[in-house]
Amino acid sequence: MALDEHSLLRENIPAYALGALDAEDIRALEVHLQTCESCRAELADYRFVSDNLLSAIPPAQPSPALRKRLQSHLPSAQKTTRPRFIWSFSRLAMGGALALLFVMNLFSFAQMRALQRQQLSVQRQLQNNQAALAMLSYPGTEALAIAAGNISGTVLLDRDRNSAALVVWNLPELSEEQTYQIWLIEADEDRVSAGLFRPQADLPYTTQPVFSSQSISNFVGIGVTVEPSGGSEQPTGPRIFKVDF
Amino acid sequence: MTTPDDVELVTRVANGEERAFLMLYDRHVGRVHALTLRILNNPMLAEEATQDTFLKLWGRARLYLNERGPLLLWLLTIARRTALDRLRLEARRPMLSDANDPEDSWDLIPDLNTLPEESRWRSLYFAVQSLQPDHRQVIDLAYYQGMSQSEIAEVLGWPLGTVKSRLRAAMEHLREKWNEE
Repeated sequence: MALDEHSLLRENIPAYALGALDAEDIRALEVHLQTCESCRAELADYRFVSDNLLSAIPPAQPSPALRKRLQSHLPSAQKTTRPRFIWSFSRLAMGGALALLFVMNLFSFAQMRALQRQQLSVQRQLQNNQAALAMLSYPGTEALAIAAGNISGTVLLDRDRNSAALVVWNLPELSEEQTYQIWLIEADEDRVSAGLFRPQADLPYTTQPVFSSQSISNFVGIGVTVEPSGGSEQPTGPRIFKVDF
Repeated sequence: MTTPDDVELVTRVANGEERAFLMLYDRHVGRVHALTLRILNNPMLAEEATQDTFLKLWGRARLYLNERGPLLLWLLTIARRTALDRLRLEARRPMLSDANDPEDSWDLIPDLNTLPEESRWRSLYFAVQSLQPDHRQVIDLAYYQGMSQSEIAEVLGWPLGTVKSRLRAAMEHLREKWNEE
């Protein structure tokens, strides 16, 4: 690599460590970091600085009520009030998702006849639905509700088979320059891309498998944002919804 | 009886022990809340972000890896991301009046009743305070408001190259300062 290019990329390391590097510069630096030991060492130095910035603030105590609110979320406070509700909600969500997917499959077949030109994309949608239906037949599949304003649906999650799928209603249409991007959320809030998709034309819902090279159990949630066509390294656009596992 | 350290407590939290969780809350809530308040600049939203951070600790304690750093750093990283997510959700980009006067941004004067465990944040705090005002400003917008360099240039009306050079200079200053310690 030319010295000048190395110097230019090296200048971006402080901003990268702060999370302030613009999206278009991130990829080039990350590729460079894979092969440049001195830049990796420098990044470690600047990460030390950004870690310190987390602590460079005088402590501030919240109101005492916050501790009580937190305690009310712990299992011992909920045993008397919520277990039955949680159980029944989960079963209801599963049943609702089954009914929903059954109706959606019928709808897909009707669309296939009428929309010959879109046969390929509808077939893909159907496959996604079937994958989701197959997931529902597994006893270990969890159905987590999506609720964000007008947008609703279900996250199907099978940790044993390391698979997941989204069934989302009322997703707004996007311009040609935009795409929806799925993010799996790690425990430290880092996001890992799990695929791009666009709403199926003329269908009110979208079924989309979630792709992950890692174990789904490594993640604590899932979200969808609007990103530029081709996707982003990290979320940059508005969040459509987020669901905790 | 010795006081359990963070690693022992987080292991107990992972096993569902609520008392250990509340001990960690009492130990670290001041630092976590200071950060969420610094980012959100709103006591009510900051308390919600602080609550979310500790609920994530409760739900994810088994995922904490001691070899990747101290628990407090992990908690603060989660708190920062949680607060920045909330900031984005609220579409509350900082007003110029908040961001343009760096002196106002760092006007909290620490309690002079210095305790031994406070020496670290105090030294970090004063290192940041020793930055030139315009350098402190870009650090503030980048790290505590989650802005990219282009967004900072737009908000402040500075050329992008100026933002980049000031951010680099500020980070270099802090690196030298903190490496001396």
